[in-house]
Amino acid sequence: MSVDLSPVMLSIFLPLFGAIVAFMLPRAAGAIGLATLALTTGAVIALARDVLINGAAILPLGGWGAPLGIDLRADGLSVAMLGLSCAVGLLVSLSALSSLRGPEDARQRQYFWPLWLLLLTGMNGVYLSTDIFNLYVMIEVIALAAVGLTVLSGTTAAVRAGLEYMYASILGALLFLMGVGFIYLQLGRLDFAGLAEAEPTGALIAAIALMFVGLALKTALFPLHFWLPAAHANASAPASALLSGLVVKAALYIVLRLAQHMPFPSETFLTLVGVMGAGAVIWGSIQALRAERLKLLVAWSTVAQIGLIFVAFARAGEQGLSESWKAAALLILAHGVAKAAMFLAAGRIKDEIGHDVIRDLDRAPIRPTLAQFTFALAAISLIGLPPSLGFIGKWALMEGAMAAGYWHWVGVTMAGTLLSVAYFSRVFAGFLRFDRVRAPVGEHQGWALADAAPLTLAMMAIALGLMAAPLLGFLEIGYALGEAK
Amino acid sequence: MIDPLVIFDLLLALGIVALAVAALATRESFAMIVVFIVFGLVSALAWVRLSAPDVALAEAAIGTGVTGALLLKTLHHLRCATGQPGQNATQAQISAPPVPVGVTLANAAFCGLITLGLAVAFLGAPAAGPGFEGLVAQAMPQSGVEHPVTAVLLNFRAYDTLMEVVVLLAAVIAVWQIERGLSDAPAPVMGEVWQGFARLALPAIVVVGTYLLWVGAEAPGGAFQGGAVLAAVGLLLLLTRAYVPQPAHRGIARGAFVLGTAAFALVALLVASGGRVAFEYPLAHAKTLILLIEGMVTLSIAVTLAALFHGREPMALKHEGKDDT
Repeated sequence: MSVDLSPVMLSIFLPLFGAIVAFMLPRAAGAIGLATLALTTGAVIALARDVLINGAAILPLGGWGAPLGIDLRADGLSVAMLGLSCAVGLLVSLSALSSLRGPEDARQRQYFWPLWLLLLTGMNGVYLSTDIFNLYVMIEVIALAAVGLTVLSGTTAAVRAGLEYMYASILGALLFLMGVGFIYLQLGRLDFAGLAEAEPTGALIAAIALMFVGLALKTALFPLHFWLPAAHANASAPASALLSGLVVKAALYIVLRLAQHMPFPSETFLTLVGVMGAGAVIWGSIQALRAERLKLLVAWSTVAQIGLIFVAFARAGEQGLSESWKAAALLILAHGVAKAAMFLAAGRIKDEIGHDVIRDLDRAPIRPTLAQFTFALAAISLIGLPPSLGFIGKWALMEGAMAAGYWHWVGVTMAGTLLSVAYFSRVFAGFLRFDRVRAPVGEHQGWALADAAPLTLAMMAIALGLMAAPLLGFLEIGYALGEAK
Repeated sequence: MIDPLVIFDLLLALGIVALAVAALATRESFAMIVVFIVFGLVSALAWVRLSAPDVALAEAAIGTGVTGALLLKTLHHLRCATGQPGQNATQAQISAPPVPVGVTLANAAFCGLITLGLAVAFLGAPAAGPGFEGLVAQAMPQSGVEHPVTAVLLNFRAYDTLMEVVVLLAAVIAVWQIERGLSDAPAPVMGEVWQGFARLALPAIVVVGTYLLWVGAEAPGGAFQGGAVLAAVGLLLLLTRAYVPQPAHRGIARGAFVLGTAAFALVALLVASGGRVAFEYPLAHAKTLILLIEGMVTLSIAVTLAALFHGREPMALKHEGKDDT
């Protein structure tokens, strides 16, 4: 009896089994985790090859087929998101191996791996799902694993932030579930295809609005971002990188999919989304300018950049929604890679210098040069300087907005870019000034193998910008529902 | 002449709302929890009236039973931590800073408007779609079980159910890793009547839980409900200190937590051969496989819920309890 394993199944089930084994064998958790990540990445590469050759792949679980059963579907966008979670996940795992090495980290080491692998299960499940109830279950898996990772460092501040995160996350999931319930009530089915056929009634718009508010809470869209800065800033470095680089992207991805399949809500709704996004850009940037600690600054910049992605939705207009998703997808990918690199680099700087107070960065006689270089590279992509992927994403956004005549969204994007230059410059100034150090500066101290993973991520954020054309082509494979084999 | 059941339903609906208001309005933690438990039981009754006995069972067992126990346990720990042990209940009030009346009113108005908007939207919605009933009825012969709810949960949409079991696994892992989770509060002292009650109740609970699991294939019941009832066994054992968690038992506990997920996922993957896809049970073995999965999941749920009640990874404590049964 040969078991027929498709890469679609493997990219969800490998991390699941990895989590189980890592939980059962805590001593070997690190090795198991890394092996699982490598295998899952292999499965995703195989899947990408499949999709590239044959177009979108559909797997009807249980052989029932939607709407009775649940279909898994892998198209270009799904595989790109899977690739993001695996590539970032693999590199963050490598860096976790070195940063959770000490004897005092034994407990963190033991629990980091099962939680992180369950998180990966949930995220990969989201990217392959085509069923809104299934999406609800998956975001619950993500929520619990993510809360576990938030409180992993065990400090009182982290536990407090984790509790707040859990309340926000559960409330968001419940709102989403309520929307799902209302949709089932009206349409009698839960799959994307059913949504695509539906007539936009008032009740359906209300359901969409409920789901959207739930997801906005989960992805920390202004003004529902209150939980994010504390949660992301107080987690340990690998956990922060996963939370900020990957976890918020799952809810964003669902918004993207809903925007694709839902009947067009209304211009007012989209404008409202854009206003919230613009608010996030402004408020997140102001808070990042005021932040006293490096990790808090990075966390606030996440709030601002998520806002920008929502601006990408809003600049669409009725006909533009079919194009603006590409800008949003590029920004999601760019932010995922660059922000993970930045959090890891911030964690490395904190490890080497011993604190992360921005004002005193230039007082340390130790210069973790490589980590600082990584931070700067990541900032280049986040600010949106060419040739990084962040630049391509922002360019796509502004190009579309200009074409549609929405100059105000161009203005918001420009303002966000300038503000991000301003707040990242606060950090660069600390990197570059030497005059406040009394002792001789150990310029080449604080290099370590641990810098390799964040540096690779930051280089990816830049290099992917050079591969934007093939990436865009890949994203479009099988985007329309009908084209699946 | 009005149907007496309509009057009953009206009273039920009013009762649920009144209990919800009472639970929110009460300022005393213990009373609040008690009202919440009553609220859960009455809601279960409402599910029965809505002809959803499966949901009613789950609501009664999990939403009311286990949740109530968890809340009471938390209250006990809070009181121990704040130095208010025992019956000094009136002092355990929630001490939040007072909220300005204006904020409360604004919130109420905002929530009221949203609720009203949703209500208007849904009253104006087109008549409810047919739902899954027709499709489920058609596919029932191929499902291997006779109860439609079980067929949906463990066959048609088994993937959702697997992931719900994963949620429970994630929850217990997250709870175990919070080292500073609970103080070493002494367990509440129980009298001798309690011990006697446990001896009488335990066998009955085991029988009820197992029956719920077994009957799930053709009637309301199933893994979640059975597991929650069996979890009561764990709660009684922990409360009577008939069982005291030891660090040495961690491996077994871990195994029990993952058992359901692992068995479910393995079956789902291993059936995918000979042209079948994952989760596609061969019809001849469908019932056996479903019962196997349900059995394993029930065990996992029972142990997991009991572990959540215990609230922490068993560590080498200074004052290790003795068996006292």
